[in-house]
Amino acid sequence: MKSVLLNIHDKQKELDRTFDEIQEHQKNYNSFVTLLEKVPLKEETSSLLSNVCYALKDNYSTKGILTTASSNTLRDYIPPFNSTVYEKLEAAGAICVGKTVLDEFGMGGTGTTGHTGVVRNPFDTSRIAGGSSAGSCAAVASGLVPFAIGSDTGDSVRKPAAYCGIVGYKPTYGMISRWGMLPFASSLDHVGIFTRSVLDAAIVADALKGKDEKDMTTWDSSSIHLQESVENSKDQKYKLFYIKEIVEEENYSNIKENHRQVIENFNAVLEHCQKNGILVEGVSIDKDLLAKIPSVYTCISCAEATSNMSNLTGISFGPRENGSKIDELMTNFRTKNFSPLIKRRFVIGSYVLQSENQEKYFVNAQRVRRLLVEELKKYFQEYDGLILPCSSSIASKIEDAKDMMKKSDDLAILENHMALGNFGGFPSITIPCGKVDGMPIGLNITGNVYEDEKVLSLASRVEEIIEEEV
Amino acid sequence: MEIKFTHGLVDKYAKDLMFELTEEENQNVLDEFEVIKENMDSIAGMKNISDVEPMTHPLEYEDVVLRNDEVGEELSVEEVLSNAKDKTLEEIIVPKVVE
Repeated sequence: MKSVLLNIHDKQKELDRTFDEIQEHQKNYNSFVTLLEKVPLKEETSSLLSNVCYALKDNYSTKGILTTASSNTLRDYIPPFNSTVYEKLEAAGAICVGKTVLDEFGMGGTGTTGHTGVVRNPFDTSRIAGGSSAGSCAAVASGLVPFAIGSDTGDSVRKPAAYCGIVGYKPTYGMISRWGMLPFASSLDHVGIFTRSVLDAAIVADALKGKDEKDMTTWDSSSIHLQESVENSKDQKYKLFYIKEIVEEENYSNIKENHRQVIENFNAVLEHCQKNGILVEGVSIDKDLLAKIPSVYTCISCAEATSNMSNLTGISFGPRENGSKIDELMTNFRTKNFSPLIKRRFVIGSYVLQSENQEKYFVNAQRVRRLLVEELKKYFQEYDGLILPCSSSIASKIEDAKDMMKKSDDLAILENHMALGNFGGFPSITIPCGKVDGMPIGLNITGNVYEDEKVLSLASRVEEIIEEEV
Repeated sequence: MEIKFTHGLVDKYAKDLMFELTEEENQNVLDEFEVIKENMDSIAGMKNISDVEPMTHPLEYEDVVLRNDEVGEELSVEEVLSNAKDKTLEEIIVPKVVE
């Protein structure tokens, strides 16, 4: 897919089109919590994002603009300050058209739990867009805007991107500031970007990255030039690996038709990659270790979320509830305004942090996190990146989308492996790779930390091969 | 010694977290917990796991220094209180704490 951003020739026309279509878009897909007023074109800046329309996930603080995190606890919250991401986009001259729906505080993978309702998939409105960055994903996939901002704690940009047939990129942890992004699990949270091509993802990330005094986890990325790397990727020699335990059919006892087609598609992509000079090899990683991914994620993310969201009391912000005592008031606020899903996650988080359980569950999960990350890093010494399918199937029907945790099965590793990108802070990108039953599917490429240039160049090369051959 | 997860314990955790659960929500926590605990127990059962250093953060920062203790950008009192529903002058009004 060629760059959309580099081919907007009439910005006024594009602005008019976006605002002409936005109401219809909202009616069809419910992507937005807040639609912003149309503004005139701004003074042109030197940025490629100047006067380009975009959508922003509603967990980024925007001064004077409602910011809800799709939660009733913040349904009337108007931040008195800006997130760094929003500030940078404002400085670049980009035009925010609205704040998009997410799973409440980013804690979900379906896009069905936001307080303003379900986000629908532009390819089939009876299906989910995926989550948590559902609205941002649908806004790009429908063609409303050329890029949108999401956030990614387990795969919340990369999984919906696969379900909606677009690019979803999560850079190395700390490359883009999280200041003003409402947190879910701080050691796993990343800023993420949706676009319709890898080159566009590089352009947006170039505009957003940089050390930020307000976010001490950011680092100096001034020597990294993503757009330039992608534009010069054609003649590079790449070496990729995939994990046999996730991809090979013999690891599954009862393989369903859609899953089989996903694997067939993946194998076809690998074949075309090989034909075009990219070396791809399968490696073996202990299946028992890989099977721990969902539990490690649950344990760490719920524990961190429980702590992060203790400031939601309804006193200094949020809708005030009644109560004759302060703790009664806070309890009423949290009881009434947190969804059942969030409450369940908090109870789990609280359980693993209890002094009698902390070592056994929380600290051990952190230990397994290290084992998994070290295992991947070992292979990143030899290979440029890891390539895998994003999911076992297409986006599910809305009525089948459940955020209840289920017993670990054959598919648990394939469905959850992208959390490895968050465990290690690895740069990781989803690109579309075809369709199954008329619905898009995606593949994911992940590389070593700080190697975003390599990962995007590689993804761009694979994207090109897929467009030509698959 | 491990504590058994029960309706009562779920309610206690909920109370500590400052929210209440309906009977149905409590049961859903218990049902989901069965699954989660089984998965988490498999982590605790891993051989030599205690020899591994816990990973609390994705990156190893080597050049982190404390910033100077200087006042940075700050919000005005008016901005800080802009979302509070019940306030007077520079303070938020809450129910009486000391009786």
